[in-house]
Amino acid sequence: MTYKYLGKSYIRPDAIAKATGKAIFLDDIRIPGMLYAAILRPKFAHAIIVEIDTSEAEKMPGVLNVVTGQDCKIHYGDNISDFVPMAVDRVRHIGEPVAAVIADTPFHAKEALEKIKVVYDPLPVYVDAKESLHENSILIHPDLTDYWHLPTIHPEPGTNIAHKYQLVKGSGEKGFDEADVVIEHEFNYPLASCAALEPHGAIAWFKEDHTIEIWSSSICPFIIRDEIAKSYGIPVSDVRIHIPELGGCFGYKSDVTVEETIAWIASFVPGKPIKWVASRQEDITSTLLGHGIRTVMKIGAKKDGELVALKTTIYHSTGAYSDTGVNVMMAATHNSTGPYEFKHCDLTGYSVYTNTPPVGAFRGYGHAEPQFATERMMDILARAINMSPLELRMKNYLKEGKVNSLGEHMWESNGSVEKCADIVDNAIYGHEQVKEDDNYYYGRGFAALMKSPKGAPFSTKGCYMKMNIDGSVSINMGGAEVGQGLRTVVQQVAAEALQIPPEKIRVYTELDTQFSPYEWQTIGSMFTMQGGRAIVRAAKKLIQILKRTAAQVLKTDVDYLEYDGENVYLRNDPSVKISVKELNRGYITEDGITVGEVAQAVSDARLPRYSNPDKNGQGNLGVTYTFGAQGAEIRIEKKTGKVIVDHIASAFDVGTVVNPLQIRGTVLGGVIIGLGAALYEKVEIDDAGNITNPHYFQYHIPTLKEAPRQTIEFVETPDPIGPFGARGIGEHPVIGVAPAILNAIFEAIGVDFYDLPVTPEKIRAAMETRKENVK
Amino acid sequence: MNKTITFTINGQQQTLEVEPGTMLIDLIRDQLNLTGTKRGCDNATCGSCVIIMDGKAVKSCSMPSEKADQKNIFTIEGISKGMHLHVIQQELIQSGAIQCGFCTPGIVNELVALFDQKPNCSETEIITAINKHLCRCTGYEPILEGTLKAQKKLLG
Repeated sequence: MTYKYLGKSYIRPDAIAKATGKAIFLDDIRIPGMLYAAILRPKFAHAIIVEIDTSEAEKMPGVLNVVTGQDCKIHYGDNISDFVPMAVDRVRHIGEPVAAVIADTPFHAKEALEKIKVVYDPLPVYVDAKESLHENSILIHPDLTDYWHLPTIHPEPGTNIAHKYQLVKGSGEKGFDEADVVIEHEFNYPLASCAALEPHGAIAWFKEDHTIEIWSSSICPFIIRDEIAKSYGIPVSDVRIHIPELGGCFGYKSDVTVEETIAWIASFVPGKPIKWVASRQEDITSTLLGHGIRTVMKIGAKKDGELVALKTTIYHSTGAYSDTGVNVMMAATHNSTGPYEFKHCDLTGYSVYTNTPPVGAFRGYGHAEPQFATERMMDILARAINMSPLELRMKNYLKEGKVNSLGEHMWESNGSVEKCADIVDNAIYGHEQVKEDDNYYYGRGFAALMKSPKGAPFSTKGCYMKMNIDGSVSINMGGAEVGQGLRTVVQQVAAEALQIPPEKIRVYTELDTQFSPYEWQTIGSMFTMQGGRAIVRAAKKLIQILKRTAAQVLKTDVDYLEYDGENVYLRNDPSVKISVKELNRGYITEDGITVGEVAQAVSDARLPRYSNPDKNGQGNLGVTYTFGAQGAEIRIEKKTGKVIVDHIASAFDVGTVVNPLQIRGTVLGGVIIGLGAALYEKVEIDDAGNITNPHYFQYHIPTLKEAPRQTIEFVETPDPIGPFGARGIGEHPVIGVAPAILNAIFEAIGVDFYDLPVTPEKIRAAMETRKENVK
Repeated sequence: MNKTITFTINGQQQTLEVEPGTMLIDLIRDQLNLTGTKRGCDNATCGSCVIIMDGKAVKSCSMPSEKADQKNIFTIEGISKGMHLHVIQQELIQSGAIQCGFCTPGIVNELVALFDQKPNCSETEIITAINKHLCRCTGYEPILEGTLKAQKKLLG
């Protein structure tokens, strides 16, 4: 299918403002009378607060107020309300807010922090789910049973389990009886930081008229608005949230992160806007981390490679609070099949409290973590049954007629993992393998992948569309532009839907709950699909309004009329027409009487028939799935054990490519995040719960010199729901990178790794062990 | 003791009092309200705060503000002229090198300084310059591509 405005590389509308430094991010906002907060973090990762003495801090220069969490009754969280804005009687992780200073400058606020005296009574610290699951472990949340939670969340009283999710398909574990071969391994995708270049920040202002206004570096203004209104007992309409430009998200700016804390601080000084911006250290230690997922996986297969049964147990070290993590665990559990059909599934996930910062979304959200296991297991299984790993996969891919773990039927319109696999196969294995030389071992690896939709019962996306008097169009939506290029997608999809050139379509800039249409939150690679659908729906309504007005003017029926972006005309005689410019504010007749309506429309779109899990943990996630494949060519330096990734190939079935330049950029960047996870990135936490690498020079994210050459291709099997067949692509490029690289490492040196990241030290140690074994 | 310093920034002379201990980034962002200079880390690692001082790309977050005395400074706000973007800005835009845009000002300044000093610099030198900057969005390929195109255009 060819489109007029899709499939073309329009330049993003925010590019110039960003290139000239004029784009306004959170820290660039200045409000008259604004004061600054600094936040005290605890000395212990788990402790009872015995006493806080703020008297010395209050006397410091420039200090207006010192705030603690004493007497704070607020609990928040829209899955399970286990979060508190500031520690009340205990601290549960090393980044928890203990107290805050409000002062005239950030410098004065920080200076005074040092004068706050806190007496702690330390408690045992658990940094991994396995430790806090131990029967003798004390409870990180003794009041767990008192917390409000959604009916789909199942905390286990008397344990550190915040949520247990179980899925059974077919005969569950009994299915292994049908298997000839069974393999089992444990994998670890450790805690990591999204590490967007822009750290978190917020400005909160409790106004004298009893309204609350907040600016935040967040992607979910409506969730923040609803939670803040609930916390302070005022109408939702009295809370206004602004979202300026966002300097990257990658997950951890979703959900409520710092906003309740800054609001709590600001609530002590009504009338004064309070600003807080995280240092990089605070961004890593006190906002949200990602991953922290151990996957224990058992696969049963027939001798001929037919997959029969899957048993997965996900142990999610969800951190000190679980509201932001429970859904990551659920996604990890049901996505642990990867892009394969298993007749029998027994999948269990545990969200387990630990004394580490809370875990939230990280690009790949419950897909990258378990499919790292699945894709390593495919290679290991292939070896066990002496089959080619690609052939083994090909035999079992989800496709038309197959049923996934959730019980959803797959259709041709879900796209083709087979086509993606063939593209990557050719790009990686289509040439001669480089032979080992004096300096390097060489290896190639492959991984297929599946991305499920991510929604919630209320996860809709809204669109306000209005046609202006000159025929140009203004569009306002609630989707957060984090860099992913959402504004260009809005512009191009609207152009296609309205048959108007993108140059005549102006897309909204900042989000503001006072003006923006409702959107749940911009997550899960769902905006192109859902937001695009909302645009198409709004466009249809708007065109219908123009036609209704034209029908009165042209004295005919609405269904005799056609629309082409410029005119509405008679189907059988295009010369009988009227310009949209004369119609879009209603038509003014010769005598000045106006007929018809203003051409503006409101719409929204949610995931079709999205449902909660049933008694077997199965359900409908909303139809749209995406498949892909990735491959890696690597070399390992013999002297150092350093892995050098020379080439990554990726192919995804994205339905329809909206913007070739942007979609390539999405994959380029996503692959680099996967590369970071494979080789470099891990938030190191010592036994006392301290984070020992909270800076970029310690927490290394890949640089240009580490970026491999990339081959990127797309298959276009149109999606039945997405706008003009388009699906999402945001998170997908991360998913297959780590397993492809680790599979390549095996090919290079014959060592299986199960834990990320694979550092040169680990490679050197493995090669030493291998040498000893050879002796 | 506060110190009075005089310098030129984006072609305009300024005389300011600076507090000891403040960094150039604070002066630029908070005293002069030139918020295009970004702060992405605590210790001169990410490159988001890079400005041009006497023709050289420097990290403003680790430069004591009094060192700006008698210097000629350009921030991102001084790189484009009215509606006319610098060739580097144009080519980065065209290559898709801008996603979230938070690292962009620092990278633009790095490259403007590099090409002003050494218009004929090698690709290796360009890679070394970009390698001083962290970008979490683009995978760097479009940044390098845009830079090479810009160099070609600048050399005519």
